[in-house]
Order: sequence, then C-alpha cells, then structure tokens
Amino acid sequence: MDMQEQLRKIQEEAAASLEAVSDKAGLDALRLKLLGKKGDLTMLLRSMGQLPADMRPKAGQMINEVREKLTAQLDALDSKIKKLEQEKKLAREAIDVTEPRKHTPLGSMHPVSLVQDQLIDVFTGMGFDVVEGPEVEYDHYNFELLNLPKNHPARDAQDTFYIEDNIVLRTHTSPVQARTMLTRKPPIRIVCPGRVYRADEVDATHSPVFHQMEGLVIDEDVTMADLKGTLDAFAKALYGDDVTTRFRPSFFPFTEPSAEVDLTCVNCHGKGCRVCKGTGWIEVLGAGMVNPKVLDMCGIDSKKYRGFAFGVGLERIVMLRYGITDMRALYEGDVRFLSQFRED
Amino acid sequence: MKVPMQWIKQYTDVPVSAQAFQDAMIMHGTGVEGIEDQCEDVQNVVVGKILSVRKHENSDHMVICSVDVGESEPLQIVTGAPNVHEGDLVPVAKVGAVLPGGVKIKKGKLRGVDSYGMCCSGPEINVPDYLYPSVGDKGLLIFHEDYAPGSDVRPILGVDDTIVDFEILANRPDCLSVWGVAREAAVTLGTEFHKPEIKVDTVPGRMEDYVHIDVQDTELCPRYCARIVKNVKIGPSPMWMRKALNAAGVRAINNIVDITNYVMLETGHPMHAFDMAKVKDKHIIVRRANEGETIVTLDGKERDLTTSMLMIADQTNATGIAGVMGGEESEITDETTTVMFEIAAFDRTNIRLTTRALGLRTEASGRFERGVCAATCREAADRACQLVNLLGAGEVIDDVYDCYPNPRGEQVVTASVARINDRIGMQVPGEEMARILRSLEMKVTLDGDTLTVVAPDFREDIENEADLSEEVLRIYGYEHIQSTLLRGETAPGTRNVHMQLTDKVHRILSNKGLYEIRCFSFISPKLVEKLGLAQDDPRLNMLKVTNPLGEDTSVMRTTLVPSVLGCIALNQNRNNETAMLYEISPVFDVTGRKAGELPHERSTLCIGAYGEQVDFYLVRDIVLDMLDRFGVTCTIVPGAEPYHHPGRAAKLMAGDACIATVGELHPDTMTAFEVTRRTVIAEVNLEMLCELRTKMGHVRSLPKFPAVTRDIALVMDEATTVGSVLACIRKAGGALLEQAEMFDIYRGAQLLPGKKSVAFSLVFRNPDRTLSDDDVNPVMKKILDACERSLSATLRL
Repeated sequence: MDMQEQLRKIQEEAAASLEAVSDKAGLDALRLKLLGKKGDLTMLLRSMGQLPADMRPKAGQMINEVREKLTAQLDALDSKIKKLEQEKKLAREAIDVTEPRKHTPLGSMHPVSLVQDQLIDVFTGMGFDVVEGPEVEYDHYNFELLNLPKNHPARDAQDTFYIEDNIVLRTHTSPVQARTMLTRKPPIRIVCPGRVYRADEVDATHSPVFHQMEGLVIDEDVTMADLKGTLDAFAKALYGDDVTTRFRPSFFPFTEPSAEVDLTCVNCHGKGCRVCKGTGWIEVLGAGMVNPKVLDMCGIDSKKYRGFAFGVGLERIVMLRYGITDMRALYEGDVRFLSQFRED
Repeated sequence: MKVPMQWIKQYTDVPVSAQAFQDAMIMHGTGVEGIEDQCEDVQNVVVGKILSVRKHENSDHMVICSVDVGESEPLQIVTGAPNVHEGDLVPVAKVGAVLPGGVKIKKGKLRGVDSYGMCCSGPEINVPDYLYPSVGDKGLLIFHEDYAPGSDVRPILGVDDTIVDFEILANRPDCLSVWGVAREAAVTLGTEFHKPEIKVDTVPGRMEDYVHIDVQDTELCPRYCARIVKNVKIGPSPMWMRKALNAAGVRAINNIVDITNYVMLETGHPMHAFDMAKVKDKHIIVRRANEGETIVTLDGKERDLTTSMLMIADQTNATGIAGVMGGEESEITDETTTVMFEIAAFDRTNIRLTTRALGLRTEASGRFERGVCAATCREAADRACQLVNLLGAGEVIDDVYDCYPNPRGEQVVTASVARINDRIGMQVPGEEMARILRSLEMKVTLDGDTLTVVAPDFREDIENEADLSEEVLRIYGYEHIQSTLLRGETAPGTRNVHMQLTDKVHRILSNKGLYEIRCFSFISPKLVEKLGLAQDDPRLNMLKVTNPLGEDTSVMRTTLVPSVLGCIALNQNRNNETAMLYEISPVFDVTGRKAGELPHERSTLCIGAYGEQVDFYLVRDIVLDMLDRFGVTCTIVPGAEPYHHPGRAAKLMAGDACIATVGELHPDTMTAFEVTRRTVIAEVNLEMLCELRTKMGHVRSLPKFPAVTRDIALVMDEATTVGSVLACIRKAGGALLEQAEMFDIYRGAQLLPGKKSVAFSLVFRNPDRTLSDDDVNPVMKKILDACERSLSATLRL
C-alpha cells in the first residue's frame, strides 16, 4: 500500500471513529490512536524513511496536512462533547423550583403604624415636625390650656380616665400641642401622633385605647383656607387626586371656627355606597382655627399670631383603608391577621 | 334631640324636602343625625267599620269579621282580638299594608279561613295609649269619633309627622329647643322666624296669698320666676299637644304636666309644676343643703347631700334637688287645683357637680348643665301661662314672682372685618357680615372696618371676634372656603429622635420576620402579679386608673410582658403554628414618684415568639443584631427574670447597664398565662438604646496581607460558658487575633463525664505584613495557657 492509500485509509477510519465517539474517554482513545506516539499517523511518519528522499518532503507535507485536519476535527469534537457533558450535568442537577422550603417570611409593622408612618411622610413633606408627648398627662395640658376648664360640659364628649384629680390619661394628643406652644416660638408646624384614651367600652367601632394624629400650625398669616389647602393635600397624598375635602361647621372648644372634615368616600369615589351611607362623604377629621384664648393661655400673642389645628383618628383611616369592620382585630394580635399587612 | 317638623313649621317656612332640609342644616351648623318619617312606618292602614262578627269553626278564640274599609265590597278578616264588636271603628291594615319594623301584611289563611288584612291595636301602629286612648282597654284600638271607613288613620291618630333628630353642638344650648332650631332653620333657608306673640289673660291675685318664695343663694340660682294658676281643671291635653310631645319622644300625662314639657321643648327652659295644696306652709325656699341632710328622691333612693348642693325646700325639709329632680309630695294629680310654675336658671357647673356626686341625671339637669339662659325665663313662664289660657286649664293670676337680681346685661363685642376675613381666608364684605349677624338676631353697627355687635340674650357663646368669624363663616357657607397652600419656609420636617429610633427598630424587626402588635396600655394588676416578681420589684408598683372600665384595664403597665404573652396565648389557642410578635410602647414607671407628678414613661420593646424554628438563640440573636445596628455591643450574661426558665435566660449588658433580657418562659409562667408551647420572651429598654446608640464611623480598609487560620478544640467543664472562653481567647490573642469563633461542640463517650469539647476557629492577621508560624505560635501558646489557667480548658489532642 502506498502512502497516499494509507493516509486515505487512516482518514476514512478516523471519520468513522469520530462519528462513533460520544464521550471524553472515547475521544481521548481516538486521539491517542491517531496522533499518539504509537498512533497511526506517527507510525506512518516514521515509515517515511523507507521512501525515496525526493518524495519525503511531499509525503511529510501530506501527513502534516492530515494531522492538522484530524487535530481540528478532534478539537471540535472535544468541545462538542464537553458541552454535551455539561448539559448532562446540568440536567442531572435540575431541581423542583416549586418545592416549598421552611423559611421565615418577612414580618410587618402594625396597620396603625403603617398608616401613621404614611401620614407622617405626607406631613413632614409639608414641613411639619413630629413631636411626641406623655400619655399620662396633667389635666392642665389635656384640658385647661385647650379652653376646656374644669366641669365644662364639653368635657363630656371625652369621657376621661383619671389617675388623680389633676392627672388623666390623655384624651387626645392635643396636650402635645399645648406643650409645644409653651416651649417653641412661632412659626410652628407640628404633627403629634400617639395613643389616646377614652372611657368607651370595647365593641366593633369603639376602643378605650386608640390612636390619633393631630397637627398644629402657628404663624402670622395662616387662614382657614390654608387649613383646607393642607388637608386637601393630605387627602390627595393618601387616597389619590380625585379625593377632596368638605368642611362642615362644628364645635371644639380649642378652635374657632371649627369644622368637621369629610373626605370623598374612598370606597365609591363620591358616588354613594354602603361605607359612606350613600352620602359620598366620610367623616375623618376635626379641625379649625386655634381659639385665640388657647394661644393666649399658651403664651402666644393672639394679636400677632393665628393658627390652625386638626386631628384624625388613625383607626378610622386604617379600617377604611384595609376594609376592616371590627376594630378589635387590631388589638388582639392574631398573626393570621397581622401577616396580611405590608408597606405600599 | 327629636323635633317634629310640623312643630318647626309653626314658626318658620320649610319650603324644601326633608332631605334638603337636613343637608342645609348640617352645612350651616346644626347637626342632624337622621330623619324619621312616621308615615313610612305605617302605610295603607285605614279606618274600618266592623259590619258583622261570626265564630271561627276551628278556633275557640278567633272570630271572622266582615269589615267595611270604604271599598265596594267589605273585607273578610280573621282576628283573635278579644274586643271585636259590630259597629265599632278600628284601624285595618289592608293587604299590602306596612307596619312598624317593616312588617308587610299579606293575604292569609287562619285555620282554613281566608283573611284579607289585619285589625290593629294601638301599639301595632305606633300609637301609645296616651296619644290616642282607645275605647275599653284591651285588644284593638277602637275609635271614639266617627270617621268614614277607608280614611287614612295616621292624621287621625297623630302619627303623620316627619321627625328630625338634631345633634346640637355643645356651645349652642339655645338650640336645644324648637324655637332654637326653627330660628336656625329660618337663617339657613332664608325664610323668616316668627316667634308667637306671647299674651297672657289673667285674673287679679297676689303672689303672697299663694306662695312665699325665698331665694337664699342667688349665685347658684341667678333667676327664679314663678306664676300661679288657680281653679285648675286637670284633664288630658288636646290631640295637637299630645301628638307633638309623642313625636318628640315625651309621654303625655295631663294638661298641666304636658304644658311644662311642651314649654321645655319649645323654649329650652326646664319647668316644674308644684301642686300648691301640698307645699307645706306655702313656703318654697331655694337654699344650699345643710350638713348631713338627706333626701329621698322620686326613684325611692335616700341620698346624702353636701352643702354645695342647691335644694328646693319648705321650712323644715328639702323637697327637691334644684334643677335635677323635684319632690314627690308636690306632684300634680287629678285633684290638683292650684299650680305654681317654676322657671329658674341654675349655675351650670354646680348642677353638673351635683349630678356627678349623686349619680343622678335627668332631662332637666342635662339642660341646666349645658346652660339655660336666665334672661329668657320670664318669657318661658308666660308662654306656659298662655298655653294654660289656650287649653282652658285654669286661671292665671296677674302677679308674678321674679327674682333676678343681677341681669347679665348686654355683652358688646367689637370686631374687625379685615381680621375676620384673614381668619376665615375669604373676602366677605362688611355689609354682608352685618347682614348675616343681624339675621342671627344680633344688633350690629358697621363703621368702616369695625363691627360692633350685641348678641341676643340666648347667645351666651358669643364672646369675641373669633366667635363672630364662625357665625359669619357658617352662614356665608363653609363650601366657599378656598384651598390655599401654606406660605413660608419649605424645609421638610423631621421626626423626633425617639421616632427616628423606633422607625429603625420596626424596619429591623419586620425584616427579621416579626409582626408588630399594639395592645392596651392598661391591664389587670393580677397579670403583673402572675409574673412571680420579687416583692420589692418596682414593676409591682403600678399607676391605678381611678375610674377604669373594669379590673382588667385598671393599672398602667410597668412591663409589656403580660400583654405580649396574652397575644402569644391567643395565637397558640387558635392553633397558629408559629408567631413572632413585638410591641413598642412606653411602660409607666412610678419609682420615686410623688403624688401629683407624672410617671416616668420609658419606651420599651418586647418580643414574644414560639414555633418550630424559634428557640432562645434565635430571639437572642435578633436582639443582638438589632443592638449591633445601633452600634451597641453587649456581653451576654446568664441570668433570668422570675418569669424566665432559670437555665435558659440571659441579660444583655451594655457595660454595667442591662439593656435587654431574653429568656425562655418558665413553666409556671406558661401555666399562669395559658401558654402551652415553649415561648421565648425578650424586653429591650429603648430609652437606654436611644442614649447609647452611636453614629457609624469611618470604614476599615480591607486587609492587604493574608491571614493565618488555626482551629483548636478545648475540653472544659460543662459549666464553663463558651462566652467566657471566647472572651479569654480574645483577651489573650491581643492585636494579632482578628477573629475568634466557635464552630462545633462535642459531647460524648470520648470525653470524661461532665466535659464538653468546643472547637474554635482563630484568624490571625498583621495589617502590615504576611504572618509566619513564628509570629503565630507564641500567641497560640499564650491563648492556650490563658484558657487552661483561668478556665481549666485544655487542648484536646
């Protein structure tokens, strides 16, 4: 057999073997058989000595060409096999991604905290500072400085828990406003969130302990229109641009004029529904211009300064926002209830 | 306050629907809780004439009637009423009729006989006996006058009105009256208020021939007005008056009593009628109670009086408590012939204190507490006498007793138009303000910017410019208030320091999987006692609520643990597999507090957790991680609260101060709180955390040279804590020891009993060069020596 014939045969056999090889071991064996020290091509190269000298260069060139070709084919097959093997490995490693695992899910703040936080964000955005104060409070701050003198019938509206004759569980967060007026100079812009107490028996819509947030602005030129503007902005930030406020006349001893403030019903957007009892409005806030008597009692010159104040019950907002119909759920602490809440 | 619309309409036009009236009143300052249409409650009930009555064959108590209801054919109606007689007129609810409570009448079959309607009793159609007394006393209502069959019964029986339930604001006691709301209605609707002209027909007489009145305390009784009616003929009041009283929710009794109630509702003045025959020696003395005096009130209770209480008395005994409750002896009866009307004004604070002290509240005391105008007493007295004339109930004598030594006089308020506009944020012209105030019966002069206003007597709430601004605004219309934005500085506000801290705590804990709870801050003292605290533990001194709703909410909590355990028990009881809860709240510490001082409110965090994944270490590390986030590093010291498992509890010490406690619940505490599963509870002093927290400093640069790691296992007594060994290692390791961590504990056969082997991984590094064994070996030796010397922890070979 001449060399050309042998080379052709080697190539033919190689082609068949390359077809047949399917794994790394087979490939390595084939590479050794073709190109190894005792491989077919090496042997052929060694046998070249038997050729006439003038034919050797050509023969060498032919063998090298075949070697390069085979090497390229083997390399290509090598990467193909590597890829296949990786695919097999990856397939073996596949997991059931739907399989549940024991883990601790994220927790959450209480809905009252979530709403309180949201309101605070709105008001700090408008330049209000947050101030907190004591829950056990002097009658003086809770009532007297707010134009609710002892034995005033308006105190009836706020059934009060007493600790001593002159110490009460605060019935609103307004005493924080009184304390602030006594210690800070105008202009003042504050909101006072916190827990408050009234002697109401527990039922679906009442609780002796609940939460409020009150706001106070004192400056030289504030008006009832600024109050409405502020509460409009608050309503829109909380419930969206289509929500507005409606002011109705009311009476609070610490404000004059006073207003009950309704918001467009968040449930029906003003069309009238069960939540708003068909009126399209829901009562959410009390507000008004600070009574000049209050300013004077708190050491602020009512000739120079005016102010407005507002107060909102957080539970009411929470219940409307999350569709809660029984207030007691807020205080009993069942995780199945608590775990439904998340930040917006 | 319920006011019948027809009563309001006597004094002003209401040219709008009830709904529009309600809306308008609300928007102009008079609250309306609801409107009740009496006609809606009873529909399609007519006068029926019983033509014949025959026995029902299958019943021994029912009869079959043929009833003429004004239609072509009489109706057959089966009834069980005992008083059915041929020829009587009765109310008949026809098929399709509506009765109170929404009951609809349908064609029925009673024991096999068809029945096309129902004959009604008074109560079945909202007609109490005092409103329309039936003939006879049992069963069906029987009309006493003749009416055409088929007539609507509602106007006949006085139940065809619309009743407005007003919610009067605390500053407007004058509106607790028909005249008051009619006056507001007129201003609101732009109609006119017509108060009746009050004229009394009298006969000559002298007060002193009938009564001797002595008002001894004109401070507590600023006005006392009395009029005498003689030759009284007690009888029922007319239908129009009974109807008005019934619609207002007041029972009709007899003409004299009905007049007092009618006048009270109409004018707002509580009145009392005395039967003068029963007033001892004809003396009425208004005085304070004597020391130790008692009185038996109408409800049969003996009440102890104090000298601050005002009495109505005869010469020897108190007969009534002024403004609160009259005496039984002088009550009007059918035999009464001479009546004295008392219309007085009493000091509202004093009435309030008296009702509080006695626990006795009446319609009259409620009105006096809110304020009854002294200036209008006489008018109300005369109105009562005018009604006596009208009803022919007796003869009014011309003499009047009226003790009013210190009339309030005119209160003049001056105000600036510009300032009022500044306040309400509007531009209402001065003339418009004057017009509004005049419509409210105020005397107004406008001079340039200055309004000079005299409010009517009944408007004692008008004291200053701010009050006037509200009057202007509410009549002008709250709907005209514009929305403007606050002017001035626009820097964003900030949260206070405490809230900045708690905000972070909330975030950290919710990321750790905890849910916030909010509990009541007053609890039962028994719950705190159940914690098993030592007798001298300050947490046992709790602030008491003097008027709690109940024992379970009677003290301010000094620890959050009982509340959190309550929620834990609830979750376990409801078979919730796991719960990790926390509460942030002040606790109320009274240590060192004197009477009259506020307690110290210490912000506190409490965590309670149970569940398969929960153990002591989990909760401890949540607390440690949280503290670490605030830059507070703690040492863990074994030690338990009385409610903790004694071997599974620790105090976390920031220096010398205990900032937190963590522990598994003691089995006794579990029993006491009905907690059934192992639970871990932690309390953290947030006030201390607020003080100790530090700001983050600069970062450390990352190391440039490699570290050398050595693992060692030390054998030690079980009682030796890993924490103490780590502390010892760290101390001995000095500057080169970068990190020391435990990675395994072995207990078992290869060790002596009572021993454990603890494996530590130690990392050494020099920031300036690569360490060699020669650098590390001496330090390792130092560490091992120290552990052996101070803790008898030896290298396990």
